[in-house]
Amino acid sequence: MTDPFFNRREFIKLASVGSAALACPGMLAGCSTTPPMDTAMPETPFFEWYDLDRSTLSGLLSELTSRGADIAEIFGQYTRATSISYEDGIINRARSVVDHGVGMRVVVGDQTGYAFTEDLTLPSMLQAARTASTIAHGSAAGAVAPFQVASTANYYPLDQPWSAVGIERKLPLIERVAQQAARLDPAVEKVLIGWVDEEEEVLIADIEGRIFTDTRPMTRLSCTVIARRDGQRQSSSSNIAARHGLAWYTPERLDFVAKQAVERTMALFEARRPPAGEMPLVLAAGASGILLHEAIGHGMEADFNRKGISIYADKIGQPIAPPFVTIVDDGTQPHERGALNVDDEGTPCQRTVLVSNGILTSYMHDKISARHYGVESTGSGRRQSFRHAPLPRMRSTYMENGPHTKEEIITSVRRGILAETFTNGQVQIGAGDFTFYIKNGWLIEDGRLTAPVKDCNIIGNGPEVLRNVTMVADDRTMDTGGWTCGKSGQMVPVSLGLPTVLVSRITVGGENA
Amino acid sequence: MHEELLNRAADAVTLAQQAGADAAWATASRRRSVEFSFRDDRLEKVQEAVSRSLGLQLYVAGRYSTHTTTDLVPERLERFIREAVAMTRAIQVDPYRQITDPALFEGRSDLDLDLVDPRLEQLDNSTREEWCRQMVEAGRQHERVISVTSSISSGHGIVVDASSNGFTGTAEGTAIWLSTGVTLQDEGERRPEGAMWAGGRHLEGLPLPREIGSKALSEAVRRLGATTGPTQVATLVVDPRAAGGLLGHLLRPASAALIHQGRSFWADAAHRPLASERLDLTDNPLLVRGLASRRYDGEGIAARVLPIVQAGRVANLYVDTYYGRKTGMAPTTGGSSNLVVTLGERSCDELIAAVGRGIYVTSWLGGNSDTTTGDFSLGFRGHAIENGAVGAPLGEMNVSGNLVELFSNLVEVGNDPWPYSSYLTPTLVFENVQFSGT
Repeated sequence: MTDPFFNRREFIKLASVGSAALACPGMLAGCSTTPPMDTAMPETPFFEWYDLDRSTLSGLLSELTSRGADIAEIFGQYTRATSISYEDGIINRARSVVDHGVGMRVVVGDQTGYAFTEDLTLPSMLQAARTASTIAHGSAAGAVAPFQVASTANYYPLDQPWSAVGIERKLPLIERVAQQAARLDPAVEKVLIGWVDEEEEVLIADIEGRIFTDTRPMTRLSCTVIARRDGQRQSSSSNIAARHGLAWYTPERLDFVAKQAVERTMALFEARRPPAGEMPLVLAAGASGILLHEAIGHGMEADFNRKGISIYADKIGQPIAPPFVTIVDDGTQPHERGALNVDDEGTPCQRTVLVSNGILTSYMHDKISARHYGVESTGSGRRQSFRHAPLPRMRSTYMENGPHTKEEIITSVRRGILAETFTNGQVQIGAGDFTFYIKNGWLIEDGRLTAPVKDCNIIGNGPEVLRNVTMVADDRTMDTGGWTCGKSGQMVPVSLGLPTVLVSRITVGGENA
Repeated sequence: MHEELLNRAADAVTLAQQAGADAAWATASRRRSVEFSFRDDRLEKVQEAVSRSLGLQLYVAGRYSTHTTTDLVPERLERFIREAVAMTRAIQVDPYRQITDPALFEGRSDLDLDLVDPRLEQLDNSTREEWCRQMVEAGRQHERVISVTSSISSGHGIVVDASSNGFTGTAEGTAIWLSTGVTLQDEGERRPEGAMWAGGRHLEGLPLPREIGSKALSEAVRRLGATTGPTQVATLVVDPRAAGGLLGHLLRPASAALIHQGRSFWADAAHRPLASERLDLTDNPLLVRGLASRRYDGEGIAARVLPIVQAGRVANLYVDTYYGRKTGMAPTTGGSSNLVVTLGERSCDELIAAVGRGIYVTSWLGGNSDTTTGDFSLGFRGHAIENGAVGAPLGEMNVSGNLVELFSNLVEVGNDPWPYSSYLTPTLVFENVQFSGT
């Protein structure tokens, strides 16, 4: 059972090697610059294997809405994943997962009935539909419109699906990363590699008679290094993830992962704990987007605002940051880990501007909050799997470029910290307090990077920190790490990005000698 | 149901052997769950489901793999297992990976762990709704309330294991959790939250719904007006609810896996104490009604009471069969069950009174630790301790240091274990701790 304590404590965590997380990455094919294109309705196992044809769907929806419904849908999912691990010089473990099922949801007003089944026989599915329907107490919602298959963009086309790639083609890639990491520094003692590829087929049939299908690939590769020098050990890791296929893993990309893991580990031998207390914080371009995810992203998910419990409730249209700050949550970036063709309620994804030139412009909406606010869903209704009802969630969250440069920002700091790599973060939605953990960074003294620092938690208040974003550079970078966001016990893949940013004042969890 | 699951597991072992596996271990499970959530004046969500899955561990020509599926249609399951065996052949021979020695199955306790509450089967939905309503009503009794949410979730699960070398086992349990969250409007823009939750294997012994709602409200009320305190070195008092999280950081590297990989600061503990003499930790899988109680672990090793830390020194590690072979250590168990802390004499209030001045931490916010070095940095919420009493609320602060140094400065352990977790942790008091604030 999940700890109910976490229900309102949103956190983001970088999945680590050996993680037992069921959420698996998929794979890549082709090049990452392939433009999105329209596709015809893909074949899905729901039609081929489960006889989930139009008349079955229609019968299930009738049962589901037999006591009334404002929103209702059937969410079918078939996921196939492969994981591989490398330890002590060999590929020592493989894992395969098949997970399938159907979730049924009925919403009346702001009340939700939900049920799911992994037994895809008609009696079991009908039983689930009946169970979900009991939230409603009215009369039948009326006939479902004839089903039409809706087309969507394809932000993650692959040359070859992961299901067509045998394990023997993956092993040499894993071994290359391990061998590369081992030879980069004589201090490297051990190398651990984790690989995941995954393909998720979904089918969404809603009360308006639309059928959406989506094939969602994901892949993740991580490298953990243990090094020993002068009797002391250090360990760190690197990972990359995307909605890509096998061809994404070029030799250059594999070598980059190995190099980054070794560099991060070796830096720890020199690094010290930073001083404790309030000081300026420079966020390096890329993974520092964790700041946006925690400081504003969760607070802009519309469910928390609809309920009045977010610190950003009632702030639409108000200035919340300097005018050079624009913050976006985007499901449409090709092959990004956070990209989605269609969200898990059947709304095509979009680019949603949360903050435009410092003004709060839009929350992230699912269908329930869109009805509440009288707006269109932003395509932000996501769920971990068919076992969960959807919630407003982030996809890929980043800040647009600003007017400054990285050099200007660093030279402006008399004494502070530059943050480069991160492991995890968390936020309290109502109080606005958020944290993120810096694994590697630098001490800045008189405008210069003087010494590496490590292992410090940063804590601040979302609205205060946004007001204190005093400089934004022109070097926005999307992080390629495999970030997974947790909310109400549901984990979903997300992406992060940021240009170099200066926060003028924040509390650093260091140690004063 | 037990028999159906046992047959499913045994059939999967047979299929794996027919497909070419030398040895196999199957786990078949079924779980029924019901979740109710309630907000302000009405039900927000009702979710019910029956869930099932089949897990397999395969040993094929000296190689090892694991698999899980929820697709149990016979012809597709057979194909899944055939493909799983073929996939295993593609990886490398690992001489350290062998199915559990049956000698480790011996000595399984026949104690009745009492993990199933028959009353939970009879709990009807109108009672769940009424309890949710009572929690919310108790949580609303304040003029600053914005919103109150409550939830009740309960489940009943059965997990059956069968192996090709003679293991069979059935684990069955129920659990129920109640929780309330209260959000208040503070001066200015902040909307502080308070939460209370309780749960267990049985309904008996849980607080009344009204008590949970009232406690959540009082937690929220005492967050009103929180400020950031000064950067300082001070005495730290950790509430029983938060102590489990801190011990979790200390215990993360306590496995043979991390010792073997060189990623554990426990490796040095053979030569020096890990903590002050005040710390005694025991892993007890055989607690009656324990949230993490079990008669055998995931590898079938018969469960035993295992001292982990005695008077601040490492007594045992979590050693599974794989890393046991790699390190030469005798297997104990692959992972923690219920963690029992040897208690002290005084309650949290008495300890705060004795400390006089310091910082009282009620919950953590983010942060992390390094298993290799023990360095940690954690965000927290709490209160100043002034004149021996709980004072002004504090937020936006961190506590940082090294876990071995921190636990070496453990000066007192409370008599008040938190009952609603598998980590039964009491109040902990540490001296000379670095806090970061303004």
